[in-house]
Amino acid sequence: MNVVFYISGATAVLTTAIAITRRNAAHALLYLVVSLLSVALVFFTLGAPFAAALEVIIYAGAIMVLFIFVIMMLNPSAGNPAGGERAGDAPLRDWRLWIGPTILSAILGLELIYIFAGNAAGSTGAGEVVPEQVGVVLLGPYVLGVELASILLLAALVSASHLGRRALPGEEEITEGKGGS
Amino acid sequence: MMPADFTALLPYLILTGAAVAVLLAITIVRNHRLTAGLTMAGLVLAFAALPIALSAAPRAVTPLVEVDGFTIFFDGLLIAAAFAAAGFSYGYLQRRRIRREEFYLLLLTATLGACILPASVHFASLFLSLELLTVSLYGMIAYLRTELFGIEAAIKYLILASISSAFLLFGAALIYTDRGTLSLSRILLPESAAAGALHPVLMVAGLGMVLVGIGFKLAVVPFHMWIPDIYQGAPAPVSAFLATVSKGAVFAVLIRVFSLYTISSESGMYAVLVVIAAVSMFAGNWLALLQTNIKRLLAYSSIAHFGYLLVALLAAGPNSVTAAALYLAAYFVAILAAFGVIAAVSGSGGEAQELEDYRGLFWRRSWAAFVLTSAMLSLIGIPLTAGFIGKAYLLLAGLGSAVWLLAVVLIVTSAIGLYYYLRVILTMAQQPAAENRPAQPAVLDSRLGNIVLGALALGILWLGVFPAPVIEIIQRTASSVLPF
Repeated sequence: MNVVFYISGATAVLTTAIAITRRNAAHALLYLVVSLLSVALVFFTLGAPFAAALEVIIYAGAIMVLFIFVIMMLNPSAGNPAGGERAGDAPLRDWRLWIGPTILSAILGLELIYIFAGNAAGSTGAGEVVPEQVGVVLLGPYVLGVELASILLLAALVSASHLGRRALPGEEEITEGKGGS
Repeated sequence: MMPADFTALLPYLILTGAAVAVLLAITIVRNHRLTAGLTMAGLVLAFAALPIALSAAPRAVTPLVEVDGFTIFFDGLLIAAAFAAAGFSYGYLQRRRIRREEFYLLLLTATLGACILPASVHFASLFLSLELLTVSLYGMIAYLRTELFGIEAAIKYLILASISSAFLLFGAALIYTDRGTLSLSRILLPESAAAGALHPVLMVAGLGMVLVGIGFKLAVVPFHMWIPDIYQGAPAPVSAFLATVSKGAVFAVLIRVFSLYTISSESGMYAVLVVIAAVSMFAGNWLALLQTNIKRLLAYSSIAHFGYLLVALLAAGPNSVTAAALYLAAYFVAILAAFGVIAAVSGSGGEAQELEDYRGLFWRRSWAAFVLTSAMLSLIGIPLTAGFIGKAYLLLAGLGSAVWLLAVVLIVTSAIGLYYYLRVILTMAQQPAAENRPAQPAVLDSRLGNIVLGALALGILWLGVFPAPVIEIIQRTASSVLPF
């Protein structure tokens, strides 16, 4: 299990370093997905399978995929001659673009097979935290935290809907000449 | 949870209920007056519930929240400030052709987050309530969607507040790694040091990062860069909210932490805080000297005021919590009045931000000019105003426990402050130079805003002339947090 931990940890550090140095946002996000996957494996080896599952489902799965789609749709470097190639234009033939994340994900996948083959029982942490325990703690001592988080989401939702909606007829709209600094 | 737990949480439950009521009311009928009325009624009810909660205090509700006299006092202060900010918002938003109702929902959620901050005795509740406050503020700062300055300020605040939250979280994680607990009252105790104690570097780095996170929110030097732009770009009622509720709640957390431990005056942490306090007092006042924009002037001077407040904390004497609470109350009243006047004299086209806009205000709108004058005098600390009593207590606390160096810095820098506050008053007293300034657009007087302004002006005078009842309340409630 220690080996799995160190390989995943090293992958996480490496991919994060690559992610923050890429000039192309889509490539950086691909590495960030791999980084989050390796962090999930780190959680797993530390004895937190529930946190690992959440990391994969929510961060690597939902949020990052959303980011990638948004970046591809907005296409920020289009019309910007200095901005490098467009995110959606990278031809699949160009193996240099996808080989890095693929190899790193493959390493993580091999680790997962290694774990599930039963070669690495137990955790390197103090013990295993099962989902049931997480639930009991969340609705026990941390119940006020859960309630606060729900109101936090309400506030974020209201802000986003107010800022994001279209202007109504008769409402103020941004006029030219009112520039910011 | 026991029934007494709900009694202790009653003010928070009412605030949450008010937010939900406003949400439902908006879905049924959009009416600015109704929404503002519901919001202010909710705030009044929550304020009225504080004595009921006090009857159950002190009570630890789950490991996250502790409701005691200290919490109740600061909640009262914060709810009152939020009420004043809501009062200014009504007239301010009424002049704009926008959807106004969601603003009050955000104001309520932000107030809820701020109110739970003084009660937080755990990193989880500290972080969640701070985020609740901050996330609501993003929406409030950018609320006028057509004001590009506001959107710019909101994005700056979003990025900087996220970074400071990241610092806070990372620091909490490091402390947890070392000590194995997230409870604020246990992280520095000797027994958890013996149980954990992986490495002192972890603990020092963790505490340092938490200090950075808190320092950002308080905008003390060297974490003060954001504050002038945000104050300037945000709508004036939101600036008032930021200056009072947001910063006051975070300062309450700081008092709570300081009350849990006596920081020895030889430790490195103490030295760092002394430097932060001294530099904040100097830098805030010097930078404010150069401003011609009244919102930026108030922003820079607030850096200095939180430096003054740190003096009370560092004094760590028997009067330090009383002095800090009293000064904070006096500062709240004065700064609310100042931003309230800015909101009141701003037209529908834009805000009156430049000092030039205030030239001759005594002739045009003598009531607003009178309130702004009393606010400025209170911020200076002229006798017969709230600020004087606050500063006197700060100096007593500082001199009483021999942090004389900071006390001297406080006096010297207050003298610098005299200059720019008086300049605002002088500008208002000067005859308007009619030829080079376009006539100000006629501004509808908001009756509600004027009533709130009157109450604040009265509060400044009352605190300055007859502070004994307030001091007694502080000593009965807030000072209960003291370990000595």
